[in-house]
Amino acid sequence: MEFHEHQQSLFSRPGVGLGDRAPRMEDDRLLTGRGRYVADIRRAGAVEVAFLRSQLAHAEIKSIDCEAARALPGVIGVFTAEDLDDVAAVPDFPDPDLARPVGTFPLCRGRVRYVGAPLAAVVAVDRYVAEDAVELLYADLEPLPVLASIDDALAPDAPRLYEDWPDNRLVDVRLEEDKDEAFDRLRTVSGSYYMQRHGAVPMEPRGTVASYEEDRLTVWTSTQFPHIARTMLHYVLGIAEGDIRVVAPDVGGGFGIKAQVYPEDYVVAWLARRLERPVRWIDDRYEHMVSAAQARDVRIDLEAAVHDNGEIEALRACVYHDVGSGEVFPNGFNPDFVAVASLTGQYRIPRQQSGVIAVVTNKTPAGAYRGFGLPESCFAMERLVDRIAQELGIDRVELRRRLTIREDELPYVTATGSELDSGSHLAALESVAERGAAVLAELRAQETSADIRYGLGYATYVEGVAPTYFGTTGHWTSQDACDIRFDPDGGVTVAVGISAYGQSVSTMVATVTAHELGVPLEDVRVVMGDTDRAPYGLGAWGSRSTIVASGAIHRAAVELRAKGARIAAHLLEAAPEDIEFADGRLHVAGTPNASVSWSDIAHAALIRIHDLPDGVEPGLETKATYAPPGIQHVPREDGRMNACPTYTNASHSVVVRVDLGTGDVHVARYIVAHDCGRVLNANIVDGQIQGGVAQGIGGTLYEEFAYDDAAQPLATSFMDYLIPTASEIGPMEIVHFESPAPGLPWGAKGAGEAGIIGPAPAIATAVEDALSEFGIDEIVATPITPRSILGALRSARELGAVS
Amino acid sequence: MKPPPFAYARAGSVEDAVELLAADEDAKVLAGGQSLVPMLNFRFARPSTLVDVAHIEALRGIERRNGVLAVGAAVRQLDAERSPLVAEACPLIGQALRHVGHLQIRSRGTIGGSVAHADPAAELPAVALALDAELVAAGPAGQRVIAAQDFFVGPYMTTLEDNEVLVETRFGVLDARTAFVEYARRSGDFAQAGIAVAVTYEADGVTVALARLAAMGIGSAPRRLTVTEERLQGERLTEDLIGRAAAETEIVGEVHDEPTLSYKTDLLRTLLTRGLREVTA
Repeated sequence: MEFHEHQQSLFSRPGVGLGDRAPRMEDDRLLTGRGRYVADIRRAGAVEVAFLRSQLAHAEIKSIDCEAARALPGVIGVFTAEDLDDVAAVPDFPDPDLARPVGTFPLCRGRVRYVGAPLAAVVAVDRYVAEDAVELLYADLEPLPVLASIDDALAPDAPRLYEDWPDNRLVDVRLEEDKDEAFDRLRTVSGSYYMQRHGAVPMEPRGTVASYEEDRLTVWTSTQFPHIARTMLHYVLGIAEGDIRVVAPDVGGGFGIKAQVYPEDYVVAWLARRLERPVRWIDDRYEHMVSAAQARDVRIDLEAAVHDNGEIEALRACVYHDVGSGEVFPNGFNPDFVAVASLTGQYRIPRQQSGVIAVVTNKTPAGAYRGFGLPESCFAMERLVDRIAQELGIDRVELRRRLTIREDELPYVTATGSELDSGSHLAALESVAERGAAVLAELRAQETSADIRYGLGYATYVEGVAPTYFGTTGHWTSQDACDIRFDPDGGVTVAVGISAYGQSVSTMVATVTAHELGVPLEDVRVVMGDTDRAPYGLGAWGSRSTIVASGAIHRAAVELRAKGARIAAHLLEAAPEDIEFADGRLHVAGTPNASVSWSDIAHAALIRIHDLPDGVEPGLETKATYAPPGIQHVPREDGRMNACPTYTNASHSVVVRVDLGTGDVHVARYIVAHDCGRVLNANIVDGQIQGGVAQGIGGTLYEEFAYDDAAQPLATSFMDYLIPTASEIGPMEIVHFESPAPGLPWGAKGAGEAGIIGPAPAIATAVEDALSEFGIDEIVATPITPRSILGALRSARELGAVS
Repeated sequence: MKPPPFAYARAGSVEDAVELLAADEDAKVLAGGQSLVPMLNFRFARPSTLVDVAHIEALRGIERRNGVLAVGAAVRQLDAERSPLVAEACPLIGQALRHVGHLQIRSRGTIGGSVAHADPAAELPAVALALDAELVAAGPAGQRVIAAQDFFVGPYMTTLEDNEVLVETRFGVLDARTAFVEYARRSGDFAQAGIAVAVTYEADGVTVALARLAAMGIGSAPRRLTVTEERLQGERLTEDLIGRAAAETEIVGEVHDEPTLSYKTDLLRTLLTRGLREVTA
């Protein structure tokens, strides 16, 4: 319980800070147009890049004719894989038994495997000329047979994407042949659930600017993990890490897609070194839609062995994932293991058998997107629970109530090894069920149109946060770091290894630092996103930032406070153990007038070191790292594994309004009961949940990276890729439960993915509820579209007419 | 997403615009730019010259004369939407414009631009069709008038010649009750389907004298539902009649596979029902 006592006392302190609904410190700057993004990085003499991208999904590259493009006035150079012959392949996952090596190079060599794959880079005086020159490039491509789906890739005679593989399975962890004996003994309920390909489309797409000066490479890039990006650039370009500086300026949204290093990033850095001048590439929305990592495209087959009362004794699960070409490291298969480990959610399911089959196809490579396997697994599991409820004739909420682990069962170890340490699982469920029923009744009573039906749906889940992760550099890891230094005037600069992309981590870091040190918030400056200025860290993903940064800050603060107390005691002629921290000053307990400021302490430590007591070193700066406790970084002998230090839980309910005439599904009310332990700033957590729910609604009703049979992308602009706007989201209600995480800083858990996990299953069951009079109860796939609803209603009418 | 190189010419008058078009066979008319500019950025369209007609004063008027509402081609959609004259003479135009994109788009987009672009899911072509509009085109040989029925021939295809400029749309002024109903997946999107409805009544106030029904988003171009129109004529527009007329309405003359045909048909019947309910006396 490293954190508790000290932090409990700080937490209760009133004022702007921890536990308050304090305003976000970033907002004023970002909302008044003073943000500085990659596209705002202007370097004298910079030239622009445009890429020739494959228009075919699968082809052999015969040749690329660059002559006409090179001759165009304003073109500085045209580069293909032949020119980039001094780069190493992007590293593959180090265990070939788990994931087959892909061996990708920044520009395609030999083959293209998806529409949008970069074939050549044109450098020109501006982007207009660069795009004109791209049109003059001629790539002679010999078409190859195309794989456009999981089934295509798994077909026995399927053509192979990688010639040295025996099949198209990037990952192939098979289900055991022997079924759990419970399946012989009990009723079995099964289903196959598919979530369509969609992904993150942040306001700011990707972009990289690089310069090479005085033997040093500087790369400004829109990334969630500058240090990892630096390590990857080192691997591929062969430049020492100390000779690379990676800077993430303001990042206009990431949601996971910027926790990948992309081909273009390597190429731009390579070009800056080759040309010895600044090089700039800012992608446009078309490029984004075909080249930024996409997500989901997952089918989960589930089978449960079920007692008559609905209790589930055993589960069999196989996750099938279309990871596209797999050519963006780390290949996109990691969410599948999160999906497997998250299926049981908050339910008491003693045993689980699991398989994961990730296949490569001719689509844009898959990668991280908010939720990271959880939306898929929650959709599958919650749909199966609804199915069980229906088959057994048990009310949907009552069944969930029976399945949910009770408080007296905590800590509870799930079938796959997750250690659920704390939570409000049942209370959150009851809360949203009650509120949802009330809202449903209210909306039904107000409705006057005969064409409108309302329905209520639910979803529950637990979200592992701050996990260990092998995707970042190919090795398991979970730590982060901070560096806190005082200036003589008492100001504090805290540098952290996490990264900001709109989720308000600056506010969190500053508030935590101010509280830990007992200094005013306005005296704290936060540094992050710069490998020259911040300590090595893994960046921001996996709902980890609050936990890992707070842990490191706490450790550094403990040391700084101890040192401050010794210096203060010396200056005030008191004992160090009598020094108290309050109102930005260090006081002697019981002597109200005896106090010094942090500036006095810093002066002694940095300017007048003769004021220091014996044995106290000059300087007032501390570095600390923190790896959350309790994490297993590799699976245990029995295959189980606890990948996270704690688990956030939530229940969602939703009331949908279905228009029988148009098939329109509108989210009339969305209700979230959320428990991320101690809420440090409810404004920030609410924002995370609201944004997540909005994206979840998008993924359930609107967003789809659709492809045709030739694996040609059909959604390459916001005309075709529909993101929900404020009109489509509907009102939201959020309730916070607070079950502190034992042994973690502040008892706080993560909240980054929370909102996006529940909408798909909650909306699906709500739609079925709304349409129950028509017997529509077979929603097993997303997106749920007006066309599919009208089609189901038509079928129901026709069936009704026959019977 | 940068356009290929093009020349830009701002036309000072209709004659000027016609001359500029005649001088370059790959020239294209630019008005509000709300459809053309994205197409340029995608390099789907690559005109050598853009002839900007948005500043021609003669194209910016709204006038009621001889039983028609004449709207200049360069009138901004938002200006038409807010015009009392339009609201009084042809309320259907305002009813439809509210569904066109978003406010920002309507503040740039023009009436003539939308009509000439002829997106099969656009609202204004359906309105033009419902109100038996006449399209006035200016070309090297002078002006000619084209009936809306003869104007929209396919997706993004009209009978306007490459060397002609759309000058004016003359919407018929009817003493009708009107409604515009559409369904789009998101607010501001191009519709999945929509219908412009104008119904005039006999002196008794309940018997349909004339029904004009123009559907869009159901195929390659907006279409009048002539069979349904005739079905309603001379009948009292009751809930029962609306139900029967809608159920009997089919999409004709379009090539759709299933389940698209069923989907569009179901949707059209819903929208027709709702549109007719809005205009019942």
